[in-house]
Amino acid sequence: MQNIVDVKNIEKIYGKANEKQFKALSDVNFEVQPGEFVGIMGASGSGKTTLLNILSTLDTPTRGQVKIAGEDITQLKNNEMADFRANQIGFIFQDFNLLENLTAYENIALPLALQNRSNKEIKPAVARISEKLGLTEILNHYPTELSGGQKQRVAAARALVHQPKIIFGDEPTGALDSKSARALMDTMTKINQEDNVSILLVTHDPFSASFCDRILFIKDGEIGQELKNESHSRGEFYQEILDSLGTFAE
Amino acid sequence: MLNKLAIGGIKHRIRDYSVLFSGLMIAAAIFYMFMSLAMNKDFLNSNSPAAATVFIFGFGAVLLAIITVVYINYANKFLLSMRQKEYGMFMMLGAKSSKISKMIFVETFIIGAIASVIGIILGIFATGFVGQLLMKNLDMPVKYFSSFYMPALITTLIFFIVIFIFSALRNSISLRMTKVLTLLNKDSQPTRIKRNTVWTVFQAIIGLIFIGIGYAAMIHMGSNPIFIYIGVPVALVTIVIGTYFVMNSLTTTIISALKKNGKFSQKGLNNFTLSQLNFRIKDYTKILSMVSIMFSLALGAITVGLGFYQQIDTVVNGQKYYDSQIININSKEKALVDKMSGASTNRYDYKTTDKTVYYRQSDFKSQPFTYSHFNMDSMFSTQKKSTSLNNDEVKYEIQSSMLPKNQTKEIKAVSDQEYNNIQGKANSITYVKTDSFRKNLTPIKQVSEEQQSRFPSMKNAIADKYVVYKNINGFFSGLEFMGFFLGIAFLAMLASCLMFKILSGAAGDVKRYNMLHKIGARQKALRASINKEIAVLFAVPATLGIVHVLVGLQMFKALLMKPYSNLALPFIIFFVLYGGYYFLTRHLYKKIVLK
Repeated sequence: MQNIVDVKNIEKIYGKANEKQFKALSDVNFEVQPGEFVGIMGASGSGKTTLLNILSTLDTPTRGQVKIAGEDITQLKNNEMADFRANQIGFIFQDFNLLENLTAYENIALPLALQNRSNKEIKPAVARISEKLGLTEILNHYPTELSGGQKQRVAAARALVHQPKIIFGDEPTGALDSKSARALMDTMTKINQEDNVSILLVTHDPFSASFCDRILFIKDGEIGQELKNESHSRGEFYQEILDSLGTFAE
Repeated sequence: MLNKLAIGGIKHRIRDYSVLFSGLMIAAAIFYMFMSLAMNKDFLNSNSPAAATVFIFGFGAVLLAIITVVYINYANKFLLSMRQKEYGMFMMLGAKSSKISKMIFVETFIIGAIASVIGIILGIFATGFVGQLLMKNLDMPVKYFSSFYMPALITTLIFFIVIFIFSALRNSISLRMTKVLTLLNKDSQPTRIKRNTVWTVFQAIIGLIFIGIGYAAMIHMGSNPIFIYIGVPVALVTIVIGTYFVMNSLTTTIISALKKNGKFSQKGLNNFTLSQLNFRIKDYTKILSMVSIMFSLALGAITVGLGFYQQIDTVVNGQKYYDSQIININSKEKALVDKMSGASTNRYDYKTTDKTVYYRQSDFKSQPFTYSHFNMDSMFSTQKKSTSLNNDEVKYEIQSSMLPKNQTKEIKAVSDQEYNNIQGKANSITYVKTDSFRKNLTPIKQVSEEQQSRFPSMKNAIADKYVVYKNINGFFSGLEFMGFFLGIAFLAMLASCLMFKILSGAAGDVKRYNMLHKIGARQKALRASINKEIAVLFAVPATLGIVHVLVGLQMFKALLMKPYSNLALPFIIFFVLYGGYYFLTRHLYKKIVLK
């Protein structure tokens, strides 16, 4: 089966040739299988945000190849990149990034509207995902009227509504209290398992990471270690992550 | 150290500051320009036939002062919005709020002072330049007009210094009153728009009633000029209030109707654009109403100015039918006549004795004489033809085109035989009619000057059409000049007000556009959304303004013969300028919000 994400030898260098250069990523290789829930962990400055930006076509690597759903995204032109993001990727950000002048419904509908889908298609799609995430009651509310957890679920619905191949989460629990964080992670696991959507999660929070199937540890721009959850309970995996972090950090 | 940081902050935002700075400079320049006219009573009195001019200008000055205060208020908010996060950070790091508020005071005041001084200098040059341009291009002799006028300079300076002291105080107080946390997390948090249908309908009705009263006042003024002293303020107040209500109720209703239409709103970024607009309009109602009022004032001023300009031709053509008249035409004059487009000539021979001027009857038979017949009731002149000299009006026309020494003599038309027997010098007069007096102004002027040098006694007589034109032109060009000047000044003011309002909201929009970019909106779609949004913000007040102007022209029915006859030119001039501001605004806005 084709990999959803295929990263080969990517390297990212900031700064021009004649200036002082900084290597944010060097020789990174990994792949994500369909339906896999992968976490990327690392300290600040380890390069995880750079990696996520490259994977989501917001940035381009200096060298190397990134294939998502079989398509080499490093070769895309500007418009193709935008369309690619609109069609294939779902985003969940730390600070939700909802448009506060649109209602929850309108926020969720936005990716479909961007693809110029007809209103007939949009309505049932929004209704379906809202029901799944328990948002039906609050669809007519504006973001300012929602709690942090609700906002993040709206953001998750927006990321899922157009049935992307993969969802990128950038510290999605970063701004949530522990209860909401747990609820969100449960929801993501549910989506991952029921709809077979691949999820790539960037986080430095071991608790969130413990929901993943597999964790890549990144340090100084390189992938240093890989940890798989081989049918342990989540609690055990959490402990394992903590141990790895302890040794990995040294 | 903090001062250094503050200056560093300015350097980082040099682009935003340059927008702010140039805006303030323009405001000062325009204020000076207007004052240099409005305070110059010699200029006003010598250039305008209307006694109400000084009053109108005084009123304009008050209006401009109010607009300037509002405008600087917006610019000032823009300044504060740029700086508060930074100042919040300084305070978080332990800077005392008294120190910070002193800094913002100094910063606001210095920016204001420098901008005013440069603006006034700019104003002096601009006044000179615009004045020269208008005088040259429109062939306008304007008396007592000088670009450097001390009282205006002092007034402008004091006015601006006072405003800036107040703005600086306000900035520093508002900064002192705000909590550090609010400064740091200054995020625009739009509240949900609560729409009350009954209230909206009520507003629309009230608005239309007010506008109706204002329109009635303006139409009434057209036929009763005495009414002007009450009518102008009444119209102004009611139309301002009416515009505000209409703007508030109608635009939001239209937008929410569009939003409800899923087919339209759920397409691409339409919903986003509509929501942006919805929030904007609510927030913008005041400024949009103001812009629409100023828009109508500016457009009205230019239209009326040009109306006077067109009037010159109508009046001149009504005074005399023939564009040029030449006594004893010589070869040089013949050549000039040949240069005129569509020229047809009537040549009449005459002989003079001590008491009488004799013409050939046959000349008038073969070349009928055309004259302007002025109807005192309709105030219009019609052209009539005559083959006989016995008509009083023809006699008068002929007489007035003769040399002064002959003008008191009796005129007689005689048969060819009698004419040949008369002892006296044979002369001729040639009347020229071209297809357009204005188009052929240059050769007509040259002919007139040539005639005056050949017959020096003609210098003090109002003889030919060119001399008539010169007199009338002098009379009307003062009015025209003021119309243009006011129009352009108001326009520049209003468009930059709107621009600042839009740009000061741009910082808060960066995040939204960034998010849309991330979830896959094409750059083109984002640009299109911005273009549409700003276009609506510009078009809404313009539309309402145009309606105001069209009705407002009724006020000039007594002064202008046909106030609606030449609308195209002022509207084109106006839209080119206004359009320029639209493009500048959207360009600057995109520079701020798009990467």
